[in-house]
Amino acid sequence: VSLAADPAVISPQDPTLLIGSSLVATCTVSPDFHLKAEDLYWTLNGRRLPAASYTTLGPTTLSVALARLNGSKQQSGDNLVCHSRDGGILAGSCLYVGLPPEKPVNITCWSKNMKDLTCKWAPGTEGETFLHTNYTLKYKLRWYGRDNTCQEYHTAGHYSCHIPKDLALFTPYEIWVEASNRLGVAVSDVVMLDILDVVTTDPPSDVHVSRVGDLEDQLSVRWSSPPALKDFLFQAKYQIQYRVEDSSEWKVVDNVGNQTSCRLAGLRPGTVYFVQVRCNPFGIYGSKKSGIWSDWSNPTAASTPRSERAAGGCDPKGGEQNTTLRRELKQFFGWVKKHAYGCSNLGIKLYDQWRVWLQKSHKTRNQVGKEP
Amino acid sequence: GDSWGIFAFLCAALCNLPALPALNCTEEPGAGRCIQQTYDLTRYLEHQLRTLAGTYLNYLGPPFNEPDFNPPRLARAERVPSATVDLDLWRGLTDNARLAANYRAYSRLLCYLRALDGTAGTAELRHRLGHFCSSLQGLVLSIAGVMSSLGYPLPAGPPVPPGTSVASNDFLKKMDDFWLLKELQTWLWRSAKDFNRLKKKVPPAVVTLRLEARGF
Repeated sequence: VSLAADPAVISPQDPTLLIGSSLVATCTVSPDFHLKAEDLYWTLNGRRLPAASYTTLGPTTLSVALARLNGSKQQSGDNLVCHSRDGGILAGSCLYVGLPPEKPVNITCWSKNMKDLTCKWAPGTEGETFLHTNYTLKYKLRWYGRDNTCQEYHTAGHYSCHIPKDLALFTPYEIWVEASNRLGVAVSDVVMLDILDVVTTDPPSDVHVSRVGDLEDQLSVRWSSPPALKDFLFQAKYQIQYRVEDSSEWKVVDNVGNQTSCRLAGLRPGTVYFVQVRCNPFGIYGSKKSGIWSDWSNPTAASTPRSERAAGGCDPKGGEQNTTLRRELKQFFGWVKKHAYGCSNLGIKLYDQWRVWLQKSHKTRNQVGKEP
Repeated sequence: GDSWGIFAFLCAALCNLPALPALNCTEEPGAGRCIQQTYDLTRYLEHQLRTLAGTYLNYLGPPFNEPDFNPPRLARAERVPSATVDLDLWRGLTDNARLAANYRAYSRLLCYLRALDGTAGTAELRHRLGHFCSSLQGLVLSIAGVMSSLGYPLPAGPPVPPGTSVASNDFLKKMDDFWLLKELQTWLWRSAKDFNRLKKKVPPAVVTLRLEARGF
């Protein structure tokens, strides 16, 4: 503890206030400093407060009146400072002005392969940013057990928490979120869920898209079920979405069932398609319910064949050029395979994958450019 | 300078490679590289601190983030070691004293930085702070490496734990935080000069002295 006296003392020191309230603060200078009330002035967040709001309460005490306070400019508190005439800082007080929190809402949770639980929620109001608001996710087994507190926050966005282990199956959990700040506490409604009802898994792996012989309007899609499925007596259903290279409109194939292959038909000849697959675990331990859809797999590209004779009916968007380019590329790759070692992966498929990548990075570049 | 270097090289070549292990990475040429790395690290930290300080001072709010802000250094702020030193005193420091001063200062600064309020502030700020502390820890270890490669003992005793003099109110704590960042800035600026000085002093002369001692 320092032996030197503080130059001045402010009261109240570091108060917490509701938006719209008023405050009278006083600054009393220590007798060692030989300053008088008329030698003092106030600033709030660096801006000088008008002398009209000051009142001299004693030889060494000056007060200031603040009316209808707005929410704090920063969460560390508004800086109310008492200065001596030459600008020197004598003392300061941090004002915390805000609103009590409201009940957090929209709690949604999901479990990856029944191993963990991640939940996210939304704050009750927009106005919870003036004061630092702490969120705590709590959970307990429905009919017994104590309250547990989630520890790993911000794993899926700002308002989220991850419970990595020690989760029980077959008994529902009660889950809720508590929001607290300097002005109060608010507790969300309790959400009840069974881990088995909110299961999701990894996207399918090894997605391959290939031509069906010479058929111009079909592509065959094959994939592997996600590895985690094997252990859990799951069934899985799949969904495929595909689109033409230049379009942003996805077509969805819904009734894929639990096969790991599917044939897309009714496609345009000589066109590059991007395909993605996702997975939904269901029938977990005999339950009839579905789980939660996984993320889509990374897009895989492939092109439908085009018969050479269709010279007249070409795609007006420079389809002719595309055909010539592709034909030449195929001839080149064929030659490379024969004459160069270690290039066995080079082929028209790799070229198509490159086009997917090019499109993706082109899109991101465009998006970046469009940001304000 | 040059002729000694050539002599040293010839000796090593003539006397067969077994002589060279005596000059391995824990000896003087290693120290030279260590000093360069430490110098580079101080420059990197200086750069990192600019962004971190900007973000943190904005979090503290005006007037802390105003360019010419200069609050009083109250007695309790003096627990942060000061980089400011008399020029002649600084010039006259021995290598050992110079390194020890750096080592002690950063060990304590690291302690205080780690104690900066971990619950408040945005997630981004906490993340930046964490990253900076890791880099600063790297600097402390780097300085220790230089000292041991030159045969100097590390300064004894643990750094003063920050809990012993905590600011009594939130505004005073903000001022402490401000001065902590300022001193960190000044130290990094000074250390670049300290290590630059050490860079020039350490290698060739010491290498050849070692060879002579081995009777080449």
